[in-house]
Amino acid sequence: MTQLSGPEIKNSLRKLDYPLCAKEAIIKIGQLICNRIPSLKHMDLALDLMAELIFCEIDRRGNKRQSPLTSLDELQLLEILYDYINGTSNETSRNAVFLSLFSGTTAMMRSKILGKLISVAIGIPAPCVLFSASVWMQQLGNTSPNSKQLAKSLIKDYFILSPSSVPKLSVLPHIAPQFTANFLTAVSNLYFNDGNKNPILFPPTNLLEMITLWVKDNTGLCIAAQQTQSSLPPGAIAMEATTPIAGLLNWTILAPLHGQTSELYGKLHLGLLNSILEIQPVTPPRAISAAHLLQPLGNIIRYLIDYQRKCKENDNGIDKQNRLIENAELQLSLDRYAQAIQVALSVNCVYGNMDDFFYQLTQLPPNRLLHIVTHTHKSNK
Amino acid sequence: MSKKITERFLKERYEKDDHYFTVYDHYTPNYFRPTIPGKFYSRHDTLDLTQADPKLVDAIKLAKDKLPRDKYPWPVTESHNYGWYEPLVPLDRNDYRFYCPAKTAPFVTHEILLRLDKTMQKPKFVGIPYPFRIMSPTIRNVQQPDVLLELKSFIGGATHSTKPNHFELTKAALNLLKTLPAARDAVLEYFCTVFNVATQNFIVRIETEIATGQLPPATEDDEAIISEIHGVICNFVSSNAEAWAPIISTWSLELLGELSTRYAGRAHVSTSVNETLQLWMSCRATRTLIDITTQCLSSHIHSDTEACINALLDTSVKHSPNFDWVVAHVGSCFPTTVITRVLSCGLKDFCQNKSYEQGSQSPKLKSVVGILGHLAGSHCEDIHTALLDLFNWSLKPLSPGDQEDCKLQKKATVPFLLQLAYLSPTILVAISKDICETLTLSAVTQLCRFIDDWCKYFGSPDALKEIIINLIIKCEIGGVQIINIFLDCILIENVSIANTMKNSIQKCAQEMLEHLLQEIDSLVRAQSQHPNTVINILDSFIREVAELDEILTSTQLKASTAAKIITFIGHNNPSVLVKSCAHLFKNATTSEHLASLVYILTNELLDKTRDPYCEKGGHFAVILHQVVTQAEEMPDGSKEEAYLQLIKNLLILLRWEKSEQFPLLHSNVIWRAVHFNIINLTKLFGSKDYNLEVQHAVAELLDFLRLPSLDGINSYPIPLQAVLNLTSGAVRYFFRCCSESDVKKFLGLGRIKNVLKRVVLHSKAAKMLALRELLEGALFSDTKMLFGAKAESSLKPDDFEKLLIEQNRKNSKSIVLTKNSSVLHGGVIGNGRKKSISSAELSKEAISDNTEQFLRTLKACCTVPVGDDDTAGVDVSVDSLTSVSLLLVQFVSPDVMYNGLPWPEEEFCKVTIERDFYIRRLFNDTPLLWDLLTFVAMYRPTLCYCSVLLRAITATLIHQWNSIGDQTHLVDPSKYKAMLDTTTKVLDVMALGQLLPPPLSSIRDVIPYVKCSEIVQILRDCVWNYMRDNVPSPALFNCDSSGMVWRDPTTARPPEIYTTTLRIIMQQNIETVGHLYCHMFIKIPSNE
Repeated sequence: MTQLSGPEIKNSLRKLDYPLCAKEAIIKIGQLICNRIPSLKHMDLALDLMAELIFCEIDRRGNKRQSPLTSLDELQLLEILYDYINGTSNETSRNAVFLSLFSGTTAMMRSKILGKLISVAIGIPAPCVLFSASVWMQQLGNTSPNSKQLAKSLIKDYFILSPSSVPKLSVLPHIAPQFTANFLTAVSNLYFNDGNKNPILFPPTNLLEMITLWVKDNTGLCIAAQQTQSSLPPGAIAMEATTPIAGLLNWTILAPLHGQTSELYGKLHLGLLNSILEIQPVTPPRAISAAHLLQPLGNIIRYLIDYQRKCKENDNGIDKQNRLIENAELQLSLDRYAQAIQVALSVNCVYGNMDDFFYQLTQLPPNRLLHIVTHTHKSNK
Repeated sequence: MSKKITERFLKERYEKDDHYFTVYDHYTPNYFRPTIPGKFYSRHDTLDLTQADPKLVDAIKLAKDKLPRDKYPWPVTESHNYGWYEPLVPLDRNDYRFYCPAKTAPFVTHEILLRLDKTMQKPKFVGIPYPFRIMSPTIRNVQQPDVLLELKSFIGGATHSTKPNHFELTKAALNLLKTLPAARDAVLEYFCTVFNVATQNFIVRIETEIATGQLPPATEDDEAIISEIHGVICNFVSSNAEAWAPIISTWSLELLGELSTRYAGRAHVSTSVNETLQLWMSCRATRTLIDITTQCLSSHIHSDTEACINALLDTSVKHSPNFDWVVAHVGSCFPTTVITRVLSCGLKDFCQNKSYEQGSQSPKLKSVVGILGHLAGSHCEDIHTALLDLFNWSLKPLSPGDQEDCKLQKKATVPFLLQLAYLSPTILVAISKDICETLTLSAVTQLCRFIDDWCKYFGSPDALKEIIINLIIKCEIGGVQIINIFLDCILIENVSIANTMKNSIQKCAQEMLEHLLQEIDSLVRAQSQHPNTVINILDSFIREVAELDEILTSTQLKASTAAKIITFIGHNNPSVLVKSCAHLFKNATTSEHLASLVYILTNELLDKTRDPYCEKGGHFAVILHQVVTQAEEMPDGSKEEAYLQLIKNLLILLRWEKSEQFPLLHSNVIWRAVHFNIINLTKLFGSKDYNLEVQHAVAELLDFLRLPSLDGINSYPIPLQAVLNLTSGAVRYFFRCCSESDVKKFLGLGRIKNVLKRVVLHSKAAKMLALRELLEGALFSDTKMLFGAKAESSLKPDDFEKLLIEQNRKNSKSIVLTKNSSVLHGGVIGNGRKKSISSAELSKEAISDNTEQFLRTLKACCTVPVGDDDTAGVDVSVDSLTSVSLLLVQFVSPDVMYNGLPWPEEEFCKVTIERDFYIRRLFNDTPLLWDLLTFVAMYRPTLCYCSVLLRAITATLIHQWNSIGDQTHLVDPSKYKAMLDTTTKVLDVMALGQLLPPPLSSIRDVIPYVKCSEIVQILRDCVWNYMRDNVPSPALFNCDSSGMVWRDPTTARPPEIYTTTLRIIMQQNIETVGHLYCHMFIKIPSNE
């Protein structure tokens, strides 16, 4: 292969019309990035080519382009990207190109196209692309804003805009388990989140339904992302994937407190517990972070304060303690919490500062099961 | 076998051909048949005909141009029969007696029957037309292929622009839309192309139609594709509105905007929103889009109104003004929201412009006007509310939190509204409706703050004023309210604002009002040259004339303004003017009001020669007529007040006119008007329905009018009815006056005399009427009490039975009438003697006063024309008095017979005794009769005509004196006195009337001194016999040189035979009547 200089490559590519130049450019980029020793110069050239010829963000003089791609052009670009990624057999180079296309400073700018690309990949379905996406999520952090953005756009496409295609998604865990797991983690952080500033969002019913189905039928799904080692370009540091378990447990625990009485939460909870039980004990444990497991705590306490204020307004006669015990929603929530902790502890998959964890749990209102769990922990120590 | 058949077959065909066919191989032209139509471009049709055979040319012409009747000698076809021959009998086709054409043909009737028959009707076709029937299922039930393949094929199709198969592509695109949500943007973008193509096809078709007049058929492809897309998208929106509606509505709006911009000006001239709307709604593609848009909006509008409208308006701004039709159409689906937003959008744009010229040219403003104009048709109320809200918002003081542009907008609101109103009449209507509620005084003071900015905006204060005046003139409603606002501003008083501001408001309002009135004035004047121009504000005034009337009757400035406006209206609509003036006249309480009335009536703008008014005696006559009739219809309580006011006003006006100080009134408008309404006015006079105040007023008026004029200056003929009304009214009024004790009574009486004098001199009929009414009233009606008459004894029904005659009838069926059938009844059986009823209600003075007045009035009725030289010295016409005396006879004597002048034999009195007693009783009951007789007697020889009355009284007296004894004056002195009194009176009257010459005339002095039997003798021998032998007729009297009629006592001395009895009786009683005897018989005056 004759080595051409950067400007030469650019000029030769610029002679082509749009979709074709992108097609050529991505091949070129692949070559540049997957060199055995990618130089900084090559990397810069690759990034320039992406910005100018693929995503058309800048013109040939490096100025920002005013008119973005038309939707049809975009669709053509998607096809090219899809074809390239799907057609690249080498997993490492595939991941390298994908990561360089969609990460770094331009990640947010290109998130729209990424969202569409993944959406198309799910629709087709294309495991290779999904796997790359999974790696991308994992590397950027599957609870990062980028991942959340992606999750949001996927949810909008498949669960809001075309609910009719939901059944097609039921096989997703089989096609791309890692991607599904990372997707779940991102999704779990979108809902039932901190209700301090914004109102708490609840997942759409069909999404919840699908997640329940996924978790129930695939007990290994939750830890799928942690099971395989992703192949990364040389020099990259593999990031640990967060499992969706803590996030989804957060849903099931908080659901009763916010009036979400759907049966699905119960089923999801059961599925999650089953999933936890399936986790193979490893040392050190890495499936669930203690800090993540403490997520529901703040929400429960906020609920408690609200509840007590409401009670104070009504009357003071009844015993405070009793009232808390008689509150069915609160007790259901606490029961679920305690069950989760109990199960997780039993398979020993929680990592982090356990003493602090149990200290935090003491703030919770009285619950029999919770009491038993904490008590057992104390006595075991 | 087969060969054999063929041969036979061929043979048979040949034989048939041979038999039936004739083969021509030589052709000659037939010039007598019509040829094929000529072609102007054909070489053959432009040949020089002079060189051709003229016979041939004629033949061709005959064939080509002539009608059948020219060509053939007889009808060739059946249809030629119609109209070929002249009908033998000329036929009148309007006369259906002999002309009965068949109106329908039998086959038409039959067909109608068939169509009416329900069983024969085919069901209407509702399915899919044939070409789609094949295609549609392939689209809907397509086997789901590999998504990737589909995607690739779609991309391939959509990007390679060489003749794409839109049908297939749409199919793929719709599938992608369903299965691959990520591709939706691209799919929608592709649909843009599809719709564009469809719209283009449509536009081209329309253009072809304009060019050639024929509409080429629509391509079925477009229709099918678009309906397919429509179906799918609608399905999306309806099933999942929240998610899809924003996407789809944005897309469809954007697309609509682009389409309407791209094809603006093609296939139509965009003059109004309505036309554009019509055009686009007839295009399938755009109609579908609009449909999709409204569906999206309606499903979404409740949750997120602002966003929806914003999207709409953003597009509108981008593609204005071509996009207006969309906004207008959507606006009519969601009027309130759209109107408000469109207004605020327009305002924002308006703020951007610094000056008026710039602002008025802004395309955005035009589109706002267009949209609102379109919506105004059905949502005028909403627009009104929205405008009002905007205005009120601009009035709110700025809060510190407001942004800078908000401040600007508030400043610009009013110029913006003005501009809108200037551009669109509908908005002007919306603004001017109920403007007075909006533009209160407080609002005006608030608006003052902005004035400077506005002036800056419009360039100068004058420009601002100019535009406002222009707008006001264009107002179709609320004109009066605007005027009111101005007036309020001018009269601004109790508003707590700075004095300088108050002054400036006053000044400005005054200026504007003046300006406005001037403008209208010049317009009105110009209108007479161009009768078709419409002055909108005048129409508005006419419509709100009731309010104008209110102002008309208020104070100074207001009234004068209103008066001006009324004159403007009156220029073309005199009826409105008349109505308003009637109102004004009716309610005028000050002379100011009357002055403005005069101003209106005499204004030069008022065309006084207009037909109905000119004939009816001027506008004021009509006004007067209306007012009088209106007052008549009013409820009883207020009627009198109304009349009083009316007459008062009329009097004031008449006085003004008469004073001749006002040049405006020199044409005697008022007088003429009164004259034309004289019948109505006189009807009021003396009517019992109204109280005395009204009567006094009317009397004053009529007296003032000096009707009917005798001196020929204002020689309008006065109708007889008015004269009669006047007369009888005066008489009635007289009696009412008499019954009063007020001082006004005397004024009234004086007026009556004046009025009567004039009337009587004017018409004989009136004189007769006046006399008759006066006498009848004074003698017989209820008013007779005023003159001392006794009230009639009222017989109650049950008293009736007690009548003697009735009692007698009970006893025997028939009452045998003796020779003298008179029945004298002196009372009622059972009740004792008839009681005399005393009438002591009125004092003697009052009675004599009334009598005096009555006689004077009567005398007034008998006046002679002034300046008639023949009867100088005599103030009363004898003819009239004759009438009086004849009337007296007519009234008093109940009989029609024996009323002649001669006195019969005394014996004959037995026949008339009943009547005589009746007359006598009347005289007893009605003292006025004596006065009347005296009055008559004074003017000789009229008393002659009352001879029958005198005779009756004398006869009864003779009877009475005869029947009582000589001692009566001691036994029953009152009766004696009454009899003596009556005798004296009657003798007095006769002496006064010179019916009894001396010495008989002095009998009255004698009788108190003689006995009853002697009285009888005197009456019988001297009076009765003298009268019997000397018929009391006017012939006895002579007229002397001075016009006095009298009987010379020296020549008319009665013969001895009538005086002997008297003389002997006097001689017998010489000791008591000696002094009289001397005068009567010794010192007789003689001619010498």
